[in-house]
Amino acid sequence: MRRLPVYLLLDTSGSMTGEPIEAVKNGVQIMISTLRQNPQAIETAFISVITFDSSANQIIPLTDLASFQMVDIKATGVTALGDGLSLLANRIDSEVAKTTTEQKGDWKPLVFIMTDGIPTDNWQNGLIEFKKRKTAFTVACAAGPGADTNILKQITENVVSLDTADSTTIGKFFQWVTASIGVSSTRVEDSGKEVQGLNELPPPPSELNIVI
Amino acid sequence: MQHNSKYIKNLFNNKGVEISSKRVDLFERFVSDNSTIGIIEKIRSLQTNIMENWQHKNRVQDIIEKQIIIPNATVNKEYKAFLDFEKLGLNDISYSAIEGLEELGLVYDNEKEIVVGVPKVSGDFKVNFKFRIKDDLDDSLLHEKKITLVINADPKSLWKNIQSDFEKTEDWKIENYWKKDDEISFEKLGEKNIVISSKRGRSHANVGSFRDDDFAYKFFDHTGWSVVCVADGAGSAKLARKGSTIACNAIIEFFTLNFTKEALEVFDNVIKEHQTNKTAETSKQISHFVYDNLSKAALFAHKKIEEFATQINVSIKDLHTTLIFTLIKKYDFGYAILSFGVGDCPIGVINKDFTEIKLMNWLDVGEFGGGTRFITMPEIFNSEKFPTRFGISLYDDFSYLVLMTDGIYDPKFIVEANLEKIECWKDFFEDLQGKNNENVNVNFEKRNIEVAENLSKWMDFWSPGNHDDRTLAIIY
Repeated sequence: MRRLPVYLLLDTSGSMTGEPIEAVKNGVQIMISTLRQNPQAIETAFISVITFDSSANQIIPLTDLASFQMVDIKATGVTALGDGLSLLANRIDSEVAKTTTEQKGDWKPLVFIMTDGIPTDNWQNGLIEFKKRKTAFTVACAAGPGADTNILKQITENVVSLDTADSTTIGKFFQWVTASIGVSSTRVEDSGKEVQGLNELPPPPSELNIVI
Repeated sequence: MQHNSKYIKNLFNNKGVEISSKRVDLFERFVSDNSTIGIIEKIRSLQTNIMENWQHKNRVQDIIEKQIIIPNATVNKEYKAFLDFEKLGLNDISYSAIEGLEELGLVYDNEKEIVVGVPKVSGDFKVNFKFRIKDDLDDSLLHEKKITLVINADPKSLWKNIQSDFEKTEDWKIENYWKKDDEISFEKLGEKNIVISSKRGRSHANVGSFRDDDFAYKFFDHTGWSVVCVADGAGSAKLARKGSTIACNAIIEFFTLNFTKEALEVFDNVIKEHQTNKTAETSKQISHFVYDNLSKAALFAHKKIEEFATQINVSIKDLHTTLIFTLIKKYDFGYAILSFGVGDCPIGVINKDFTEIKLMNWLDVGEFGGGTRFITMPEIFNSEKFPTRFGISLYDDFSYLVLMTDGIYDPKFIVEANLEKIECWKDFFEDLQGKNNENVNVNFEKRNIEVAENLSKWMDFWSPGNHDDRTLAIIY
């Protein structure tokens, strides 16, 4: 079966402490429960969570929705986004199956990145690695005024921003991520086609500003 | 003794009591007094008790706060989870029980420390884990903590089956190019039989949308030829269901009009000659006949769809459909099988002994999903690959001639390469004839008149991630 891999690359630096990190945890939890009710998503979508603070860490390897269990995350340290992107590239290489004449590979992965700050490491190196991998689409979310959308624009053309990083806005972001995964899994199952960009995803709620 | 003296001194010190130099002797006697020693021992033992109580409470709290993760369960799927206390660092748990499992269909065996059963309800549940640790008294109250248990719904139960014509009028059906969600057919096709089932996929059933696949066939009594077509309307094209219908009907119409006795006379002679005395000339004439007639038929189907698109003022892309068809006739020497295909649906012929499979057409599959071609694309007719879309095979006899859409081939053959492997076709026919989880048997004996119903039932097979429309035609 062709899996639809979904990678969440989440900022867990110290500035996320308190409401934002709780909102992220909650957002992932609700996302999983919701997707479990979607017959196409529960069969195709596989989710991985990679966090980055002073370094990056894949806290959940690519896991099917039915067996997914969220682990606790804590906000601490600085913002090693580059390290996160490198690890993401590395994980895509080892977890996403390629198509050969003998086997049907996985669908191209969906990537959602969320950060509330400016990278503190040499992020361009990570970006170079990440850019070599094929994704169906990558969405980057600048959560609150501390994030730099210009940097995110270099990672992907699909950038959204939240005016503030609080439980409402982060919750809305994850709701939209949930709907986007739902649409993508229906699409691959129905028509054998991948969603290519932001315009094919459900319209984002008003809390999400599309950065042009 | 020294110890006791220090203890009392500390106590006095804490209370601001000083021992003057005149009273040192008295203090020494006081400390050595048996009653003082007894009291100190009592205090020490009480302090030890307090310390132990605290450590115990602390430990219990540690356990309560520790995240105990047990694997997620699924409704109707046997569940067994071992609570590995050793691995969790909970060796000191001396007794455990879990409350709230029974109503979920599970039980906890506290001897083996496992949760077992077949879950009945889905959801995110908190169950009560009750325990004693080894320092607890045997009759003490149990400690309690919540454990999260996720029970996934049975994936099959999440799919809805909404009839595409649910609460719709006859007029609505006509206006919306409605077709039946499921269609079956069984008939004699000359000396062979044909059985076909075409089923709307679960992804369409889930939202009440239409079946995009279609098929048609016809036996021409006066010439002995039969034609069978299968078409798979593109999921992304909004009127694909109509495109596939028009394509199939057009092919039948074309051969009804053009495969007249007179028109076929030359071919019949050539093919007989070819069989007894094969020459480059006979081969050429056959190829020419196949190309000439089948390409005209394909173009006819394209034109019919184009006309329809113009007539209702939509883009032909809205009617995108793949198309495969095969023509078959029994001669004295055996069978001639002709074919044409555009798109990703295979036509396979299995020889009499089931030792060889011939794939009559190559499949249009892109590097990534969605790279298929459609009969509705004008460019396919001008492509240099166009002449390779035709096939001809001569057999003294064959066991099965099979046409299918990707709704069947994706789950059953997985990759294109497997369509050319006889082992995979053997597995496929074993599966059809009962080797499946659902225990459905499609009996291909000629006297079985329920073969279409059998096939229809078989087509409900469960395959995660494969919920496309399914069409399978077997000539046998």
